[in-house]
Amino acid sequence: MKLSKSLIGVLLIGLLSIGMAQAGEVLDSIMAKKSIKVATDANWPPQSFINDKNEMDGFDVDVAREIAKRLGVGIEFITPSWDIITAGNWNRRWDLHVGSMTPTKKRAEKLAFPAVYYYTPAAVAVHKSSNINSVAALSSKKVGTGTGTTFELYLQGDLSIDAEGAPKFKYQISKPTIKSYETSTIALDDLRLGDGVRLDGVVSSLPVFLEAIENGYPIKVIGQPIFYEPLAVTIDLGDQELNNRLKDIVAEMRKDGTLSKISKKWYGVDYAVTQ
Amino acid sequence: MIQDTVTEELLLRKPRFVLIIFALACIGFIIIDPSQSAVGHFLAPVIGDPAESGIYGRFVTSFTLALLFVLNLIAISLLPEFRYQVIVVWIELVMLFLTFFYSFDLSFTFIQSKIGFMITQGIFTTLYVSAISIAIAFVIAIIGAVAKLSSNGFAFAIASFYTSFFRGLPLLMQVYLIYLGFPQLGFVIDAVPAGIIALSLCYGAYMTEIFRAGIMSIDEGQWEGSRALGFKFGLTMRKIILPQSIPLIIPPTGNQFIAMLKDSSLVSVIGVWELMFLARTLGNKTFNHMEMLITAAMLYWMMTMVLEFIQSRIERKYRKKQKR
Repeated sequence: MKLSKSLIGVLLIGLLSIGMAQAGEVLDSIMAKKSIKVATDANWPPQSFINDKNEMDGFDVDVAREIAKRLGVGIEFITPSWDIITAGNWNRRWDLHVGSMTPTKKRAEKLAFPAVYYYTPAAVAVHKSSNINSVAALSSKKVGTGTGTTFELYLQGDLSIDAEGAPKFKYQISKPTIKSYETSTIALDDLRLGDGVRLDGVVSSLPVFLEAIENGYPIKVIGQPIFYEPLAVTIDLGDQELNNRLKDIVAEMRKDGTLSKISKKWYGVDYAVTQ
Repeated sequence: MIQDTVTEELLLRKPRFVLIIFALACIGFIIIDPSQSAVGHFLAPVIGDPAESGIYGRFVTSFTLALLFVLNLIAISLLPEFRYQVIVVWIELVMLFLTFFYSFDLSFTFIQSKIGFMITQGIFTTLYVSAISIAIAFVIAIIGAVAKLSSNGFAFAIASFYTSFFRGLPLLMQVYLIYLGFPQLGFVIDAVPAGIIALSLCYGAYMTEIFRAGIMSIDEGQWEGSRALGFKFGLTMRKIILPQSIPLIIPPTGNQFIAMLKDSSLVSVIGVWELMFLARTLGNKTFNHMEMLITAAMLYWMMTMVLEFIQSRIERKYRKKQKR
């Protein structure tokens, strides 16, 4: 009896201590293992994707590599689906996420955002043959976007970005019929079928649209960007030391122009600063 | 099927039946409207420019296609042997499939550049995840079946709760629950083990029922006889009952493996780089999703065909044994 009681006690303590990363613990283990595990998406060109050599590549991947280099450790990528990443509670399965995540208030309850590393314009695209010519004209129309994204939150009228330096925005599309897809590239596949066949428009990030147009998608971007998304590197809650260290590293990378350089390499434009 | 010795006149020799088929095919084609397709271009001398042929073009092309379809049916029915008929129909269906895919205007150079990786990384992962899972499921199923058949209320309760729960949830949900839920209990597991656990538990539940049926099909006299010889439960099970029920259990287990091979695609959601995951991701950069999806589909199909072949061999082997 006595034994089983103490056993339960030990188990309980064990259970309670899990999930709460102690200060500096994650950073310490990264330095000890000499390797950082980075989660990112394999479905988000040109930010992160699998390249011709079947390796992870892209803007986010380059940023992650640079961070690892400045920490002086090796790097390993894993690719869980987006909703698993945003759910938080990573339990040290991975240490860092560099995957163009927008720091919203809701996400900040589950995750920590040490630093914003770039800003992308969110835009609206329609089929080439569409005569919709302003963002507001998409009101009450069928609009596609990626599920769990800020674009979806924007369409739902439920987006709040609480990062420093994010420009203000207003909701221009009222009461759209939102169609959410696994990724916005699949939404584009539906849009290309024709104007209004399955979708009247798609909301996603401008670089994704430009990439699609370059690959022969019959779409066009309309109006001005609807909002600028600040995008941050993300870690699990609890390790303030890792947080501060990443903040310093990203600030350094912005200051010495590395971020701008990587941005120009992938987008041809400097997204490291707001326009 | 049993060879039927009663001969009836072939349906296709009855003019009325042929006419009905023809009419139905005509209606079907008219609904689809093939006038804008390759057939329309082929018939351009008759109907003029397909784009402007309108109703007339639609009817002519549909009529032609329906005629071809019925003629083809009759031609196949004239073939002397069952075997030839099967081969011809297969070839025709495959050709239809290929033209269907061909019309998508796929980039074959892209497929060529990726197929190696899809096999070495994708198929390899799919196969080893499935193989490990089926092995674990096999063990779970034996234990589960014995528990379900036992007179021990405790064992029965656990086993029936287990089968009820894991057969009652979608596999995708189990994958999420295990991957996200276990860490809450303090077991942080990686994606591959989580996927294997989910697949084994789910299929273990289904296979428990298969094993239970297999064990139950053994005549009661076998139990009584071995008990009369003084064998204990374990020995009876190992030496008398299982050897007799295994031939009944193996074929459906093979079926489960084939099903699992495809269900293993569900673990792609937690980031395992198996075939389905690669199918969804590899084409993304260059917007070649269709290419990758079709390639993966073909690879799954081929794997299944190979396994079905092995499966039929195993079944035949056990059937022979039983006859002896």
